[in-house]
Amino acid sequence: MYKATFIIIEKSYLIRKGLISIIEKIPNTQVIQQFDNEDDLKTPANFESDFIIINPNLLNANTLNIIKKIAKNTQVISLSEKSIVLTKELEWTTQIYLDDTQNSILKKLNTLIGNRETKNVKSEVPEEISKREIDILKNIALGYSNKEIADKLFISTHTVVTHRKNITRKLGIKTVPGLTIYAILNKIIDINNTGKSKS
Amino acid sequence: MIITKNIKMADVIHTNYFTLSVLNRFGIELGFGDKSVDEICKKNNVDVDFFLEIVNAFVDKDYFPKKHLQTFSVKLITDYLQKTHDYYHKLKVPEIEHLIEEMVDSCYTQKENIVLLKKFFNDYKQELLNHTRREEEIVFPYTLAIEKAYNSVESDNSVIELMETYSIEIFQNEHDNIEEKLLDLRNIIIKYLPQPKNSRLCNKLLYELFNLEQDINDHSRIEEKVLVPKIREMEKIITKKFAEK
Repeated sequence: MYKATFIIIEKSYLIRKGLISIIEKIPNTQVIQQFDNEDDLKTPANFESDFIIINPNLLNANTLNIIKKIAKNTQVISLSEKSIVLTKELEWTTQIYLDDTQNSILKKLNTLIGNRETKNVKSEVPEEISKREIDILKNIALGYSNKEIADKLFISTHTVVTHRKNITRKLGIKTVPGLTIYAILNKIIDINNTGKSKS
Repeated sequence: MIITKNIKMADVIHTNYFTLSVLNRFGIELGFGDKSVDEICKKNNVDVDFFLEIVNAFVDKDYFPKKHLQTFSVKLITDYLQKTHDYYHKLKVPEIEHLIEEMVDSCYTQKENIVLLKKFFNDYKQELLNHTRREEEIVFPYTLAIEKAYNSVESDNSVIELMETYSIEIFQNEHDNIEEKLLDLRNIIIKYLPQPKNSRLCNKLLYELFNLEQDINDHSRIEEKVLVPKIREMEKIITKKFAEK
C-alpha cells in the first residue's frame, strides 16, 4: 500500500495541528514528523518522506542545506502568507497559503500525491508481485546478500535494491526474517531448505 | 485530553486504558477511589510532574514534553526506561510466547506455519534483549556520568575522555528500529497466514502484538525526544566548561 508521508516544519502549534488534520483527511497519508524550530532539524531521526511542508521563515543557511540534500527524493512545499518571496535555491513544488480554504489545500495536495503515486507505482496492478520479484525474494529468503543475488542473476546491485524496495512496499514486510516466512508460506522456498545451498 | 494533577486517577484510566501499563511501571496499584493524580502519586512516592509528562506522552504521541521534562534528573528517566525494559521481558514477551505456544498446541492443520511464527518471535525476543541490554550497559551509565559531570562544580578530565569514546549522537545514530519486525509479524498474520481454526487465539495474539508495538514506540519516543536532547545539551555545556578552563 502506497502511503504518502509528510514532514511539517512550522513554528505555530495551531497551524501545525490544523494542517495535520487536513492532511489526514486524505486516505493513506501520514505526517511522520513535525518540527517547531530549525534547531531540531540538525539531527532528525528519520528524514525520509515524500513531502516536506516548511514555513520559509524557518529557512537559514543550515536548514537550507539539509533540505537541499534530501530534496532529490522529497518534494518541498512552502507554507506562508501570500506576500512572501521564496528563495530560488530550492525547487518548490507548490505553495500553501495561510488563507487557503480547506478545499484548495486538499486539491493542491491531492494533485501532488496523485502525480507521485503514478510516478512511483506506474499504475500497475496493485500489490501483485512479479515473477522477477519472486526470484529475488527467493534468494533473499535463502540468505543471499544483495551482491550475491546480483551476481547470480546477472543484474546490478542497484537493481536488486530497487526490487527489494518494491517487494517490501507490495507485501508490507521489511525484514529478512519476515520475508523468509512469507516465502515459506507461499511455497517460494521449501521449509527444509532455508539456508544457503551450493546448488 | 491533557492529564493534569487534579484529575481523578480513575479517570486517567477511563480515558485511555493503555495507561494501566504506565501505572504499573510506577508501582501504582488500583483501588484509588476518588483520589486525584496528585494524591495518588504522593502516596506512592512518585514525582507527580514526571508522572504527568510520561503519561501524557503516552496518551498523545504529539505531546512534546521537551521544556518541562528537562528539569527532571536523568536518573528518574533512566529508571523509568529500565522499568519498561523489565515490563517487556518479564511480562509482555512471556505472554506473547505463551499465546504462540497455545496456538501451536491447538493447531493441527498448519502446525509448521505456527512453528515458523514461534521461531520468528524467538529471534525477535533475542534482538529486543540485545537492544535493551545495550542501553542498560552502555547508554544509561553514560547518561548518568554526563549528568554527574554536569552538576559538579569542578570539571573532571575523565568525563571528557569518556565523551571522546562515546556520545549521545552515536546512540541516536545506531538506535535501530526495534519495532520493524513486529510490524512484519503483524502483517504476516493479518495478510498471509492461512487462518487457523482457532481465531480467538490469533486475535488475542494480534492484540498483544499491537500493544507491545505501541509500548515500544512510546519507549523510543521518550528516549529520542527527552533523553537525547537533554544529554546533548549537557554535553555541550560540559565541553564549553572544559574549554574555558
